[in-house]
Amino acid sequence: MTAEMILGILLAGLLSENYAILHFLGTGAVIENERSVKHSLIIGLGTTIVMVVSTAITWPLQAYVLESVPYLRTLVFVVVVLLVVEAIHLLAGTGLEGLCRVDFTKFAINGAVLGLCIHNTEIPYGEAVLTAAAVGIGFTLTMAVFPSIREKADDTAAPKAFRGFPLTLLCAGMLALTLLSYG
Amino acid sequence: MKKSVHSDIPLKEAAHLLPLGAGFVMASSADLRAALGMSAAVFLATLLSAIVISGLRKVIPDRFHLPIYLFIITVFVSIIEAVMVAYFPVVVNMLGAHLAAVAVSAVPYRDAEDVAGMSSEHIAVKTALETGGLFTLIMVICALIRETLGNGSLWGVSIPILRDYRVSALSGAVGGYLILAIVYAALRSIRRRFTVKKEGTE
Repeated sequence: MTAEMILGILLAGLLSENYAILHFLGTGAVIENERSVKHSLIIGLGTTIVMVVSTAITWPLQAYVLESVPYLRTLVFVVVVLLVVEAIHLLAGTGLEGLCRVDFTKFAINGAVLGLCIHNTEIPYGEAVLTAAAVGIGFTLTMAVFPSIREKADDTAAPKAFRGFPLTLLCAGMLALTLLSYG
Repeated sequence: MKKSVHSDIPLKEAAHLLPLGAGFVMASSADLRAALGMSAAVFLATLLSAIVISGLRKVIPDRFHLPIYLFIITVFVSIIEAVMVAYFPVVVNMLGAHLAAVAVSAVPYRDAEDVAGMSSEHIAVKTALETGGLFTLIMVICALIRETLGNGSLWGVSIPILRDYRVSALSGAVGGYLILAIVYAALRSIRRRFTVKKEGTE
């Protein structure tokens, strides 16, 4: 892997291949996020670690074990993600939960993690792990930035029917438009 | 998540789950076939897991409810995925990883949590049917708009008149957010009018 390729993968994960906004994986977690920037960054970091470790485990599983039983892929991948989340939860302890004020096990309920593991089985191992890190960083930044963007939208200026969730979607749509320009 | 914000669209108990399922709604609503495939998958996964979880709710310890619920939901999603791969491979190709991601979607999981707190199985089934029904309705409406106006086709069949005037952005990521926002606002507006009329007649 050349430096150019590494940079390309990192930028793609951050911008043009942003999973939450452009691929609609983990979108719910981002658009529902109302936490502060600090807490969002911590949750994003946790999700990034889960993504990288899960990819590191699921890629060889798919390549060497699940080729002959493709119908078990989703089940095995979800079990792996659950075990990774539980392992991180045990290692980090309750201190991290206190920091990010969220049940750490909820990281398992994130379509971006499973979707990433599935997509990454189609590329070489090194690229897959790097892509996982890049997508995780992109997810983290989106989680941190989106609440600030949403705050700027004035609900009272919008028609009644558009207040709340529809306005949140429109804000996400504008963010998507921005990210698409990097494609 | 404030339930009151979403209580003015139909099926208010299921409405609070819509923001959590916005991802797969937008991902699958670029094509009507994909929307129907995804809605069937979500509907069946939610309903079947609700039935099993409502039956097992007294046996599952609190500490392990998340992994056990996720496992049950994933088993059903895997079965549904295998059936769809066998009989609807075109739809599976369109949905990609989103079909598998239903297993870890907050929608069937939160529905399962709600169901576990209910006193009887028939209420649990009714709630799951409402959730699945609401998502089906919204996905189909979004798909009808996005595929016809964004792609100039319906059910994969090109419509010559629309083909020349299609708005490609509607079938992409931006269109997903825009159309879902409009559909949600429209449903909310319709619901409000029915509520006002009903209060007026009372």
